[in-house]
Amino acid sequence: MTLAFLGMNWQTLADAVSLGAIYALMAVGIGLVFGVLRLVNFAYGQLVMAGAYALAFAYDHGWPVSVGILLCFAVVLTLSLLLDRIVFRPLRAHSPAVMLVATFAIAFLLQSIALLWFGPLGKISASLAALNQPVTISGVDIRKIAIVATALAAACLLALVLLLGRTRVGLHMRAAAMDFRTAELLGVRAGRVITAAVLVSGVLAAIVAVMLTVQTPLVTPDFALRDTILVLAGVVLGGMNRLVPATLGGFAIGFASGLLGGALPTNWSQYLPSFLFAAVILVLLVRPGGLFTREGQRAAERV
Amino acid sequence: MRVRGRWAFVTAALLALVLIGSALATTAGHRAAHAKAPIIIGWAFDGTGNMAPFDGPALAAAKLRVNQVNAKGGVNGRMLEIRTCDTQSNNAATAKACALRLLGQKADVLFTTCDVDLAAPVVRAAIDRGVLAIAPCIGTDQMGPKRFGTKGRLAFSFGNVAQDEGSAMAQYAWSRGWKTAGLATDTVIVYFKNVVQAFEARFKQLGGKIVASETYQSLGGNNVQNAVSRLNAVKAGVYVTATAGAFGALSTFVTGLRTLGNNTPILNSWAGDGTYWLPSNPKVTNYWFVTFASCFGDDPSPAINALASQVKAGTGGFITGPSAIDGLVTAIKRAHGSTKGAALSKVMEHFKKVPTISGNISFSAKLHTVFGRRYRVIRIQDNVPKVVGTIVAKVVPKI
Repeated sequence: MTLAFLGMNWQTLADAVSLGAIYALMAVGIGLVFGVLRLVNFAYGQLVMAGAYALAFAYDHGWPVSVGILLCFAVVLTLSLLLDRIVFRPLRAHSPAVMLVATFAIAFLLQSIALLWFGPLGKISASLAALNQPVTISGVDIRKIAIVATALAAACLLALVLLLGRTRVGLHMRAAAMDFRTAELLGVRAGRVITAAVLVSGVLAAIVAVMLTVQTPLVTPDFALRDTILVLAGVVLGGMNRLVPATLGGFAIGFASGLLGGALPTNWSQYLPSFLFAAVILVLLVRPGGLFTREGQRAAERV
Repeated sequence: MRVRGRWAFVTAALLALVLIGSALATTAGHRAAHAKAPIIIGWAFDGTGNMAPFDGPALAAAKLRVNQVNAKGGVNGRMLEIRTCDTQSNNAATAKACALRLLGQKADVLFTTCDVDLAAPVVRAAIDRGVLAIAPCIGTDQMGPKRFGTKGRLAFSFGNVAQDEGSAMAQYAWSRGWKTAGLATDTVIVYFKNVVQAFEARFKQLGGKIVASETYQSLGGNNVQNAVSRLNAVKAGVYVTATAGAFGALSTFVTGLRTLGNNTPILNSWAGDGTYWLPSNPKVTNYWFVTFASCFGDDPSPAINALASQVKAGTGGFITGPSAIDGLVTAIKRAHGSTKGAALSKVMEHFKKVPTISGNISFSAKLHTVFGRRYRVIRIQDNVPKVVGTIVAKVVPKI
């Protein structure tokens, strides 16, 4: 009843939750690397793009879906590690501004490589297209992808909480995020911690690639670019310094985007990013530390 | 006997002289043709960006057409020569640099990319210097005075004006018995919007009813799924859109509707030509579009099929390249060999059903983009495209 009044239906709500969930995963990937490396990885979207192209490549060659997904993970993880080794590690001693500019450069480089390699037409990646089909729950049609994306995001976040809270590497990551220098002096192996963070972030990027290609089967060089910008805004909105607020920020911006996209007349929805970014500015003016941070916690533990 | 022999010798000598003379005359004629300066066509094309799928095949086919024209002696004894410059994704600065470079190489005419916004730097560089600017396939009425003012008289496109294309789509929909339509407008470029607006105007004139009107954004926008959900809730005879596969939203739009079990016909403009964007699960069915020519080898014109096989084009837009060459050749001939922008423009504004490889084309003082061309209607069923008819718009509606 309320939904109908708002001009929405259950599908819109489910789409909004699933978009929020996917953005939350991206937010975790970005937030995790920021926590450990103090690096805002603008090239995160291009990792997702690389994974999507891997899925398209497998589809092009007629390989099974499972092989395509494995290739997607392999490509994204290899690329993540290479970027860390070749670019981020040598620049680690430099200021965050230098690192940020480096991620911009990587983003454009990867985009250009995709353009030259795969061409401007884009490649179809329809490996998990069956997830687009609806299931009827209590008389309401909801696309399977909405349910799968939400469940997968919840599972990933739970796994991450367990990793950070219950394992040695998780403890080291949290220590490194709190104070990298002190953690190193106390015996935490910095290289291993960073590699772990980069790998986890890569795994999440690969999952996002699989989820996004279900709804957007055509992979182009700017695939996931706009999503990354929105998620970055969401992370800042939630509170960059802590992982949970950052994740909530990612979810919030995805959910709001999906919900407003469904509620607004479609001839208004093209202005949706403007509304969202205006809201982000407004929130940051009122709460510069982030929407989901609590007083006194802002400068504390970042992971 | 001796007299007869002498006469025979004289006759043979005369014959030889005549033959040598005519051979020399022919060679001299050819030399004269070659000696005349070539007509240089500067072509600023996008080799890497979103317009590359449209610019590349049009340029490749135009080169073949130029070879054919030159093999027949050129235009008024002058050979045609294409010189190219890659605008690298239509970056504005690069496009302008390309235009200046080509003009520096004494280009008589400048060809540009197939979107009016992206073409603007090249068009302005050309018309500011009194040089004719031609786009093979811009599809809006803005390629001309409407966008570029008085100097815009020197700007033309051999694409179909969106009003004409939308009108043809409406006529076709009506002829198929689709009396109601749900509209989905991709707002990302003017051409897409104008096609749907023209469809609406003409469809209503014909007695059709618009039952839904949604918008979305391709090129990275994430609201196409919302348009799908809303359209799915409305029963319509046909869903109408204008968007390109390469712009990203088309496969999402079609897949979105079909996976919801909605098999309503989808009608698209030339933008939706090609098979490169087709997902295999579910296969695309009941999808229709109008286009310049079929690039799938089943066009009604054998000349087009021959060219299509050589170019290996992804869409029927490739034919606009040779069509523009045909139009330019006619214009130069009618302007008595002049390549001055003003002279060519004056002639071209009076084009009425001028024959080109892609059919008869017309321009007017107001419309510098083609109207009245015969469209091919192609249906994709189970991912297989097939020409199912042709159509010419009877009116160009005001939008």
